[in-house]
Amino acid sequence: MTTTVTERVDLLERQWAERPGVLGWLTTTDHKRIGLLYFWATLVFFGAGGVEALLMRTQLAQANQHIVGPETFDQLFTVHGMTMIFWFIIPMTTGAFGNYLVPIMVGARDMAFPRMNALSFWIFAGSGILLYAGMAAGAGPDAGWFNYVPLSARLFDPGRNIEIYTLSLALNGMASTLTSANLIVTIFKLRAPGMSFNRMPLFCWAFLAASLGLIFALPSLTVDLLFLYLQRNLGFHFFDVAHGGSSFLWQHLFWFFGHPEVYILIVPAFGIATEIIPAFTRRKMLAFPLIAIAEILVVFIGFGVWAHHMFATGLPSTTLVFFAAATSMVVIPSTIQVFAWSMSILTGRPRFTTPLLFIVGFIVMFVVGGLTGVMFLAIPFDQQVTDTYFVIAHFHYIIFGAAVFPIFGGMYYWFPKVTGKLYFERPGQISFWILFVGTNLLFFPMHIVGLLGMPRRVYTYPGNVGWTSYNLLETVGGYITAIGILFLFANLVVSYLRGAPAGPDPWHGPTLEWTIPSPPPEYNFATIPTVTSAYPNWDGDAPVSIALDAGHKQHVSTISDGWTAEIVDMPHASPWPILLAATLTICFALLVVAKFMVAAIVLVVVGLTLVGWHMKEPQES
Amino acid sequence: MSEYAVESRARERFPLGWWGVAMLIATETALFGMMVGSYIYLRLKAPVWPPRGIPEPKLVVPLILLGVLLVSTLPMWRATQSATPKRWLLLALVLQAGYFAMEVQLYHDDLQHFTPQQHAYGSLYYTLLGADHGHVAVGLLLNLWLLWKLLHGMTRYRRNALRAIAFYWYAVAVLTVIVTLTVLSPAFAR
Repeated sequence: MTTTVTERVDLLERQWAERPGVLGWLTTTDHKRIGLLYFWATLVFFGAGGVEALLMRTQLAQANQHIVGPETFDQLFTVHGMTMIFWFIIPMTTGAFGNYLVPIMVGARDMAFPRMNALSFWIFAGSGILLYAGMAAGAGPDAGWFNYVPLSARLFDPGRNIEIYTLSLALNGMASTLTSANLIVTIFKLRAPGMSFNRMPLFCWAFLAASLGLIFALPSLTVDLLFLYLQRNLGFHFFDVAHGGSSFLWQHLFWFFGHPEVYILIVPAFGIATEIIPAFTRRKMLAFPLIAIAEILVVFIGFGVWAHHMFATGLPSTTLVFFAAATSMVVIPSTIQVFAWSMSILTGRPRFTTPLLFIVGFIVMFVVGGLTGVMFLAIPFDQQVTDTYFVIAHFHYIIFGAAVFPIFGGMYYWFPKVTGKLYFERPGQISFWILFVGTNLLFFPMHIVGLLGMPRRVYTYPGNVGWTSYNLLETVGGYITAIGILFLFANLVVSYLRGAPAGPDPWHGPTLEWTIPSPPPEYNFATIPTVTSAYPNWDGDAPVSIALDAGHKQHVSTISDGWTAEIVDMPHASPWPILLAATLTICFALLVVAKFMVAAIVLVVVGLTLVGWHMKEPQES
Repeated sequence: MSEYAVESRARERFPLGWWGVAMLIATETALFGMMVGSYIYLRLKAPVWPPRGIPEPKLVVPLILLGVLLVSTLPMWRATQSATPKRWLLLALVLQAGYFAMEVQLYHDDLQHFTPQQHAYGSLYYTLLGADHGHVAVGLLLNLWLLWKLLHGMTRYRRNALRAIAFYWYAVAVLTVIVTLTVLSPAFAR
C-alpha cells in the first residue's frame, strides 16, 4: 500500500517530533538542535575570550599601565588562548557547523551516534564551566596556553590553576574526540545512495580531515595532561630532570598535538570557503579532487612538523633542518587550495555578497599569515623573533583571519537555511569592512612591534622603547574589531526578527541542504535522494531511492560508493547524555581539588549512569 | 502505511557500533603510542635504565600472562561466530579475569620494590601498565554486562554489541603486547 506525500510528511512529523520546552533541549539528540546548542555556547565563550583580549589590549594601549596586575594578566592571556582555540573555534566548526550541516550534506537524518553527540555537547559545556569556575575563583590557568614545564610544575605554580588547565582541557578533549568520531562514522556510513567519495561535498572532506586529525592528535595532549597531573598531585617525575624526566617531553607531546591542531582549526574554514565560492560565483570548484586531497594532506603533514615550535630550545641542527624542510611541504597543499579558490572566483561570475566578501578577506589574510609562516622556516629568523609579537601577529592572521573570517562568512551563508529568514545584505557588507579594517589594524602592527623586540606575554612595557604608538594602533584596531563583531551579530538578530522569508534555496546553492525546507524539518529529508554528482542541487530533481517512514529510521551505506546496505533504528531524546556529562564533570571538579576518594565514588555513579543508558534496547524490527 | 523501496546493493559487514569501537581503538592506539614514545624518549636520554636501585623487570610470569590474554581472544572470536555465544564468552571472561587478577598482584608486588615517585622510570612503568590494566578492566565490565544481557536471549542489538566488544578485546590484546614488551624491554636488552 502506498502513501501520499502529505501523509508521509505528517507521519514523519509525528515520528521525529522533539519534546517541547526546555526539557526537549536538555534531552535532545537531534543533530540540528545540538549544533545550535554548540553555536550558542561557543558564542558565550567567544564573548568571554573577546573580553579577555580587550582587557589585555586596554592594558597595553599605553606604556606603564596597571589596569590589571601581572597575575591577572597571566590568567588573561592563558585563558584567552585556551578559550579561542578549544572553546570557540574547534566547537564552533566541528560542533556547530559540522553537527548541523554534515548530516544534511551527506543526505542523512542524524549523526551516526545521536546520544553520543548529545554527550559530547554536555561534556563540552561541563569543561567550559570548569574552566571559568576556576577563573572566577582566581585560579584560572596562568602558564600560557602551551603551559610549559617547569613553569607549570608545582614548585613554580603551587595553586590549583594548572589543575584547572589539565582537567578542563582533558574534558574538552573528550568532547572533541566524541564529536570527531561521530563525524567520521557519519561521513563514512550515512551518505546518501550514490554519494561516492568523489561526489562528497568538499565541506565534508574538510570536516573528515579535521576529525581524523583530532582523533589522532588529541591523545598526545591527553597523555601530556595526565603526566602533568600525576607529577603535580602524586609526585611522579615525567618532566623532572633531577629524577630522570625531561621538560622537553612536555614540549614534544604538546606540539605533536599542537601543530596538527592549527590545521584542524583552519581546515573546516577551507571547507566553508569551498561551499560559499561555488554558490556565489555560479561555477563548480576548480581542481575538486586536488582540493579534497590537499585538505587531507594539510592535516597529515601537520603531524610531522611539531618541532618547528622548538627551534629556540637548543635541539640539534640536524633536527632543526629536518623539521624546517618538513614544514615547507605544507606550502604545497596550501598553495593548491589558494590557487583553486582564487581561480574559481576569477573565472566564475562572482556576486560579492557578504559571505563571499568574508571568503575574499580570508584568502588575503591566509596569504599574509602563510607568508610570515614561511619566514619561520629560516631557522635564524625564527630564533630571532621567537617569543615576540611577530609570532602573535603570524598566528592571529591564521587563526582569526583564516579560521574565523570563514566562520563569519558561513554564519551569513547558512543563516537563511537555519532560520528561514534572509539577512540584511548592506549591513552585512558593512560588518565585513569594519572587521577587515579592524583586524588588520589590530594584528598588522604586531609584526613591526615584534621585529622591534617586544616580547609576548608582558603585562606592561617602558615608554622609551618605541613600542607605544604601535600598541595604541593595535588597541584601536581591537575595539574596531569588537564593534564589527557586535554589528555582525546585531544584523543577524535584526534579520531573524524582521528578515524576509528565505525559502528553501535563496542562493541556488549546490549541495543537498538547499534541497530541503528552511529551517529543515526534524527528519531532514522526507525521502532520501540519490546523488549523481558533488553538486546535487544543480543536477535537477534527484530520483528518490529510499522512502523511510516506518519509524525513527536511518539508512546505512557502504563506505566506498554510498549504496544502501541496511536500515537501522535511531535513538530518540534521552536524559542519559546530560546526566553522564554532569557526573563526569563533578568527578573532574573533585580531581581539581584532589579529593580522590570522593571522585572515585562519583566515578562509580558515572558507571551506573552508563548502565542506565544501555538498559533500554532498540526494538527489533 | 509505510512503504519501503530499499535498493540494497550490498549487505553491510560491520554494524555502526563496530565503527564506533573502531574510532575508540584508533584514538586509544594513538594514546598508547604517545606513552610508549615517551618511555622510549626518556630511556634514550638516560645513562642507565632502569636506574640504579630499581630491579630489572622479570620476564617469565608477565610473558606467560601475556600468552593467556592472547589465548582469550580465541573464545571471544568463537563467540562472535557461534549461535550460542554464552559459553565461549564465559570461557573468555574466566581467562581474562584470571589474567587481570594475576596482573594486579604483580603490580602490587612491584610496588613493594620501587615506586612511581622514585624515578621517571617508575612513573612510566606504573602509568603504562596502569593504563593497560584499566583497559582490561573496562573490557571485563563490558563482557559481564554482555553476558547478563545474553542470559535474556540474543537480539540484533546484542549480536552487534558482541562483535563490537570482541573487536575491543582484539585491540586490547595487541596494545597489551606492545605495552608488555615495552616495559620488559630492559630485561631483553640485558
